[in-house]
Amino acid sequence: MNWPQLLITVATIGSIFGVVTLALNLQYARGGMINFGIVAYFAVGAYTYAIFTQPSPKGLDQYAFGLDWPWWAGVLAAGTAALAFAALTGWPTLRLRGEYLALTTFAFAEVFHSFLLNERRIGNGTVGLSNVERPFGDWGPIEEKYVFAAVAALLLLATLLAFRQLLASPYGRALDAIRDDEVAAESSGKPAANMRRQVFLISAVPVGLAGAVYAMFTTLAQPSLFTAEVTFIVWIALVLGGERSVYGAMLGAFGLVFFEEVVRAWPFETVRSAQIAASVEHIFTGLLFIAVLRFQPFDRIQRRMKART
Amino acid sequence: MLFLQYLTAGIVTGCFLILATIGFSLTRQVEGFLNIAHAELLGIGAFTTWWLNASQGWHILIAGPAAVIFTALVGLVIARTIYDPIRRRGPAVLLITSTGVAFVIGGVIDAMVGTGIRTLDIGLATTYKPFGIRVTDYQIIVVALAAAVSVSLALFLNRTRIGLAIRARAVNPELAASRGIDVRTTSRVTWLLSSGLAGVAGVMLAVIATLTTDLPFHQILQILAVAILAGLGSLYTVIASGLIIGIAMDVSVYWIPAGYRPLVAFSIVIIVLLFRSEGLAGTKAA
Repeated sequence: MNWPQLLITVATIGSIFGVVTLALNLQYARGGMINFGIVAYFAVGAYTYAIFTQPSPKGLDQYAFGLDWPWWAGVLAAGTAALAFAALTGWPTLRLRGEYLALTTFAFAEVFHSFLLNERRIGNGTVGLSNVERPFGDWGPIEEKYVFAAVAALLLLATLLAFRQLLASPYGRALDAIRDDEVAAESSGKPAANMRRQVFLISAVPVGLAGAVYAMFTTLAQPSLFTAEVTFIVWIALVLGGERSVYGAMLGAFGLVFFEEVVRAWPFETVRSAQIAASVEHIFTGLLFIAVLRFQPFDRIQRRMKART
Repeated sequence: MLFLQYLTAGIVTGCFLILATIGFSLTRQVEGFLNIAHAELLGIGAFTTWWLNASQGWHILIAGPAAVIFTALVGLVIARTIYDPIRRRGPAVLLITSTGVAFVIGGVIDAMVGTGIRTLDIGLATTYKPFGIRVTDYQIIVVALAAAVSVSLALFLNRTRIGLAIRARAVNPELAASRGIDVRTTSRVTWLLSSGLAGVAGVMLAVIATLTTDLPFHQILQILAVAILAGLGSLYTVIASGLIIGIAMDVSVYWIPAGYRPLVAFSIVIIVLLFRSEGLAGTKAA
C-alpha cells in the first residue's frame, strides 16, 4: 500500500468534507436545523465551477453552457450559486422544523439529483462534466497533489476561523440563546426565524466552495459523485466527532475519510472479496454510527475536561 | 388507451407504495420517529423470500409468509436492542441512528447476496386484457394484498383491545400509560406489525421487481414521499397519498421521460408542504 499517497488523499478529501461537516455543525448544533440534503449545495458548487470554467460544448457534448472563464471566477460563482440555492430552498423549507425539515431538505436534494441525472443540457446527464479545470499545477518543485492538499486545508482553516469569529460575536451568542430557549430569546428581541435563515445561507457558502475544490480535485462533476450517501457520510462524520464540538466534527471527517480510503486502497485478490470488503465498510460505518450516538464518548470526554478546568 | 395503461400501472405502483409506507407510518405515529431503516426491512423480506424460494426450493406460498415472519422478528430485535435504549434522546437522534441501522442491514444483505439480478423461482406473469388494458396476475395480487392489508389493519386498530391501545399511545403516550395501558406490549406489537408489513411489501417487491441489492434503499425515497404527503395522519391518508404519488409518477411518463419519476413524486411533496406544512392529514406535529 502506498501510504504517502494515501495520506495526501486523506488530507485533501478530509479537508473538503471537513468544510461540509463544519457547515452542518453550524446548522445543526447552533441553528437547530437538520439538513439532510447537504449534498445538493455541495453539488451546486461543483457543477457551477465546472460550467463556468468549461469550454463551449463541442462534438458529443450535450451541455448547453460552457463559459470558459478563469478559475477564480468559477470559484466565486460556486459560492454565490450555493448561496442562491440555499435562499431558494430555504424559503419554503425553513418554516418547518425538526424531522420535517430533514425530510424536505432530503427531498430537495433528491429532486436536484434527479434533475442533474436527466437534464442533459446542464451537465451532460449521467455522463457528467469531465476534464474540469485544475488551476494550480506544480508550483516549482512542489507537486500538484501537495498544492491541492494545501488549498483544501486552507479552505478548511478559513471556514473554521470565519465560523469561530461569527460564533464568538454577540451574533453567535444570540444564536445560542435561540437554540437553548427560543421563546425567551424572541421575547428579548432576537428574530429567531430570520437568524435561522441567515445561518442557513451563510453556512451554504463554504459548502459551495468545497464543492468547487472537489470538482477540481476529481476533475469531474458527475451525478454519481453527489448521491444521498455523501449526506449520510457527512452526518456520520459530524456525529462521530460529537455534534456540539467544532474540532470533533473535523476529526470525525478526517477519521471517516481515512477509514474509507484505506478500504479503497487495500489490494484485494478477487472481485468478490473486494465486494465483501465494501459491504463490511458499510456495516462498520453503520455500527460506528449507532455506537457513537448511543454511548456519546466524545461528549463525555469534553464534559470531563470542562469539569477539570 | 396508452394513458389508461399508464394509469393502471400507477394504481399498481400506488398499492405497492401503500404496502411499503403503512408500516413506516405506524412506526412514526406510535414510536414517534422516522425509521429510515424501514426500507432495508423490505430488503430483508425480499431477499429471505428469494433465498428460501430460489436456493432452498420452497414454494412461494410458504417462502413468502416465512419471510414476513422473519422480517417481523428482525424488526422487533432491532427495536429492542438499538432504538429502545436511546428513545429519550428524541426523534432526531433516533432518525440519525436509523440511518446507521440502514447502512448495517444494507451491508449485510450486500455481503451475503452479492451484486447482480436475482429472480424468484415462480412462473412468468400471465397477462389479461380486460377492455384492452394489459394487466398481469402479479399486479392484481399487489392490488388485492394492499386492499386486504389496509382493511385488516383498520379492523385491528379499531376493533381489538390491543389495537385501540396502540392508537391511544399514538395520540397521547403519557395519558395512555397513566390509564393503565401496557406500554411495553403495545410497543412490541407495533414493531412486529410494522416490520411484518415491511416484510409483506418486501415479498411483493421480490415478486414484481427486478431484484438487486440496491433496490431497497431506493424505495426509501418513495416511502418518504408518501409519508410526508400523508403527514401525521390516519391510515386513510396514507392510502390516498400512496395512490396519488403512484399514479402521478406513472402517468407522468405519458408526457415526460421516465427518469423524472422521483422528481415528480418530490415535486408534489414540496408543493403540498408549501401550502400545508402538516401534510394531507392536517394535524400538527406535537
